Amino acid sequence: MIPLENFLVLSAILFALGFYGVLARRSAILILIAVELMLAAVSINMVAFAAYLDPTRFTGIIFAIFVITVAAAEVGLALGIVLRLFRERASANVDEANSLKW
Amino acid sequence: MGMEQVVLLPAIPAAIFVVLALFSPLLPRRGDWLAVVGMAVVVVLALAVAFHFQDFFGHGEFDPSGENARAFEWLNLSNGLFQIDLSTYVDAITVVMLLVVSIVALMVMIYSVGYMRGEARYGWYFGALSFFTASMLLLVTAGNLMVLYFAWEAVGLASFLLIGFYWERRSAAEAAKKAFITTRIGDVGLLIGIILLWREAGTFDIQQIIEFAEGGGFDQRYLTVAMLFLFMGAVGKSAQFPLHVWLPDAMEGPTPVSALIHAATMVVAGVYLVARMLPVFDVVLVARDVVLYTGLITAFMAATMGLVASDIKRVLAYSTVSQLGFMFVALGLGSPTAAMFHLFTHAFFKALLFLGSGSVIHATHQQEIEQLGGLWRKQPLTTWTFVIGSLALAGVIPLAGFWSKDEILHAANHNLPVFVTLAVTAGLTAIYTTRLVLLTFFGEPRNHHAYEHAHESPPIMTLPLLVLAALAAVAGFVIYEGVGQALGFAGGIGQLIFAHEPEVFHFDRDLATFALAVSLGGIGIGLVYWWGTAERATRARGWAPELHALLVNRYYFDDLYQSLINYVVLGAGSVIAVFDKRVVNETGVDGGAQTVGWFGLRLKFLQTGRIPNYALAMAGGIVTLSLVAFYTS
Amino acid sequence: MLRRLPLPAQIDRTITLGGLLASVVAAPYIVVLGVLFATGELSAPEFVFWLNAGLVVGGALAAVLLRHIVHAALGLVGASLGVAGIFLLLASEFLALVQVLVYGGGVTILLLFGLMMTRATDGPIVTDGAQKPFAFGAGIVLAGLFVGAMLDAEWDALNVTVVGFRELGIRLYRDFGIPFEVASLVLLVALIGAITIARREPAPGEDDSK
Repeated sequence: MIPLENFLVLSAILFALGFYGVLARRSAILILIAVELMLAAVSINMVAFAAYLDPTRFTGIIFAIFVITVAAAEVGLALGIVLRLFRERASANVDEANSLKW
Repeated sequence: MGMEQVVLLPAIPAAIFVVLALFSPLLPRRGDWLAVVGMAVVVVLALAVAFHFQDFFGHGEFDPSGENARAFEWLNLSNGLFQIDLSTYVDAITVVMLLVVSIVALMVMIYSVGYMRGEARYGWYFGALSFFTASMLLLVTAGNLMVLYFAWEAVGLASFLLIGFYWERRSAAEAAKKAFITTRIGDVGLLIGIILLWREAGTFDIQQIIEFAEGGGFDQRYLTVAMLFLFMGAVGKSAQFPLHVWLPDAMEGPTPVSALIHAATMVVAGVYLVARMLPVFDVVLVARDVVLYTGLITAFMAATMGLVASDIKRVLAYSTVSQLGFMFVALGLGSPTAAMFHLFTHAFFKALLFLGSGSVIHATHQQEIEQLGGLWRKQPLTTWTFVIGSLALAGVIPLAGFWSKDEILHAANHNLPVFVTLAVTAGLTAIYTTRLVLLTFFGEPRNHHAYEHAHESPPIMTLPLLVLAALAAVAGFVIYEGVGQALGFAGGIGQLIFAHEPEVFHFDRDLATFALAVSLGGIGIGLVYWWGTAERATRARGWAPELHALLVNRYYFDDLYQSLINYVVLGAGSVIAVFDKRVVNETGVDGGAQTVGWFGLRLKFLQTGRIPNYALAMAGGIVTLSLVAFYTS
Repeated sequence: MLRRLPLPAQIDRTITLGGLLASVVAAPYIVVLGVLFATGELSAPEFVFWLNAGLVVGGALAAVLLRHIVHAALGLVGASLGVAGIFLLLASEFLALVQVLVYGGGVTILLLFGLMMTRATDGPIVTDGAQKPFAFGAGIVLAGLFVGAMLDAEWDALNVTVVGFRELGIRLYRDFGIPFEVASLVLLVALIGAITIARREPAPGEDDSK
C-alpha cells in the first residue's frame, strides 16, 4: 500500500513549484497557471487526508470540489482582468502595471 | 435621628444645591425658601445628633462605640492595599462643628434673603451657599482622610465661587483666583501629608491612623514631616502666616458669604483638622510647636494689621485671621478644648460682626470706615448688636469671647513668652475693635451723603443679628456644668466642648481679672484715640510713619509674593518656555516628525507598484512565519 | 482576427515536438518503473503512483520553467491529468473526472483563449522576472518546510477507502447543500464580473446596443 507521506510530499513539491512560478513569472497568464498548480497541490493534500484519515465523512473531498469550482471562477475572472489590462496597456506583464506607487 | 445617620446632614443641602442649580429660575422666589427651610431642617437634625451624642458618655467618659461610625467601602484596590471607605465619625469636635456650621449657615441664609434681594443670580447664590454647607458638613463628619480631602476641596471650590460671585468686577475675580491658588498651595501639602500617613499606616481611616501613631507605628522623623505637610493644608485654609494673604482679599464676596465662609466655618476647617489629628500631633511635639508658633505669629501680625485697615470688612478679616491664630495657639499648647471652645464662640460673634457690617454696607453702600460715622442714630439695632459682638471679640465679661479667650490664656499659663504675646494681642484686639465701632457708628458722620442715605435694615436681616447677638452673649456660659445640666444634658453641655476627656471648668479669678484688665485697657486706649473726631489717632500716624506704612502695606507680604511670582515663577517659567520651545517642541515633537518625514521620503521608494515585488514580500512573510511556527512548535 | 493567429499550426508543432521531447525525457523513467514493477519491487498501485507523480512533477516543471507560454499551458494540462490520476489512486473517481474536465478542459482552454487575446507584440515568449533567484530560494525553503513538517509528524494512516459516487452525492447535496448553492452563486458572479470587466467600453456617443 502507498503510504500517506508519498502523497503529502508530492503535494508539497507541487505547491513549491507553483509558489516559485507565481513569484518568478512576469506574464499574468503564466502566474495564473502557477496559481492553478498550487490549488491542485492543496486539493491533493486534502483528498489524501480525507481518504486516509477521514473515510466516513470525507470532508476533504467535498472541499476539493469547492476548490476546483472556485478555481474555475477565479480563472475566468482573472482572465477578464488580464484582458482589460492588456487593452489598457498593450501588455499582459504584471510588472509593467506599476502606476500605483509613490 | 441618631449619630449613625449623620450622613443625612450633608445630603440635604447637597440635594438642595442640585435642585437650585438646575431649576432655580422655575421656582417661586428663585427657591431661596428651599435653601432656608432645608437649612432649618439641618439645624434640627444637628441638634438631634448633639442630644444623641450625650448617650455616649458613660461615667463621664466619651466612649465611641461601633454605632458611632458608619462606613461602606467605596474603593478597594489590590484587596485592601488602597481602600477608601465612605465613613462618618462623630465625636465632640464634630458635634461642635455641626452646631456651629448649621446654626450660622441658617442665620446667614435668612439674612441673605434680605441682603441679596434683587441681585442677579439670586437663585444661584443660594445654590452655591447650599453647596458650601453640604461640603462643610461632609468635611466635619468625615471619618476618613480621603473623604475629608474631597470635602476640603469642595469647600475651597464653594469659597472660590462665592468670592467671585460678582465676577463682573475684576477685583472680585482676582480675589477669587488668589484665594483659590493660595489655599491650593496648602492643599497640596495636605494631600502629601495624607499620602505619607497612608503609606505607613496603610489606611485612610482617621481613628486607625491615630491608633497607629499612638502605638508608635511611625518613625518619629517621618511622622513629623507628614504632620507638617498636613498642617500646611490647615495653614492655607485657615489663612495662617504665611498664607494669610488671601483672606482680606476674599472680602470681595457678598458680606453674608464672608460671615459664613470666611469667618465662621470654612476658615476654621484648619483648626478642625488639627484638632481632629491632635492625638497624632501629640506624638510629635515638634510639629505641635510649629502649630503653636505659626498661630502666635499670625495672631499678633494680623491684629497689628487690623489696627490700620480702613475697610470695615478687612478689619474684621484681619480680626478673623488673628482669632484663628489664637485657636492654633491653643492647639499647639495641646488644648483642643480651648481651641474648639474659642471656635464655637468666635463663630457666633464674628458672624454677627460680619452680618452687622453687611447691614451697614447695605444701608450706606460704603465700606470705608473713614467715610462712616454716627450711624447709631440711623441704625440702632445694627449698632447695638454690633457693639455686643465687638465686646465679645474684645473679651469683656460676661460675653462669649471672654470665656474662650480666658481658656486659651489659661492653657498658655505655663509658657511665659506665649502668654505675654497672647495678652498683648488680646489688648490689640480690644483696641482695633473699639476703633472699628467708634469710627463706624459713633462720632460725627464724615460722609454726609452716605449718612443721609442710611436706614435701618429690614427685619429679615435684623432677626439673625438679634439671634446671633444673643448667642454671642450667652454661648460662653456653656462652659459651666450647671448650665448644661439645666438645659437637660446629662453630663453638662460643657462636656460637649471638651474633646479629649471631660474637664471640669474652674474659674481662675486672677487670670480672668488680668484678661479683663487687658481688654478694658485696650478698649480704653481705643476710646482715648478714636473718640469723637479721632484727631489723636490721626496725629499718632505722624509718630512713626514707617511703622504705619508697614502695617498699611500688610508687612509687604503681597508685594513679596508678587515679586516672587514676577521674578522667580515667571523667570523660571521663561527658562522652561525656552526649554519647551527648543528642546521639547523643535527637537522632540518637530524633530520626531522630521525624522519620520526623512525616512518616509526615502522609504517610499520601496513601494514600487510592481505586483511581483509585493508577492515576493508576502512570500517572504509566509516563509518566515512558517519557519517560526515550525521551530517553536 | 482569427486569420492573424497561426495558432493551430503552432499547436501542432508544439504537440509534436513536445511529445517527442517528453518521450525522450520520460522514457528512461518509465522503463525503470516498468523494470521495477516486473521484478516485483513495486506493487501495482505503487507503479501507478510513481507514474502519475512523474507526470505531475514533470508537467509542473514544464509549466513554471518553459518560456513559451503555450508550452507552459500544455505542461499545466499534463500536471492536471497527473493530479487526476492521483485522485483515482486515492479512490475518488468523481474528483478525478471533475479534475480532467475542469482543468484539462475548461481552465486550459480558457487560458489559451486569454493568451490568444492578449498576444503582446513580442510574441508568446515572455522572460521571467528579475526576482527569479529569490523565488527559487523561497520555493526551496517552503518545500523543505512542508516536507520536514510532514515527516516530523506521526500519521495514524489507515488504508484508502473507496468513496462511491452515491455516498459523495448524498454528502454533497445533503450536508453541503447550501455551500453548493453558494458556490453556484460565486460562479454566476464571476461570470458577470468577467464580462463586465472585459467588455469593451463604448466610446462616448457610441450606442451601446450595437
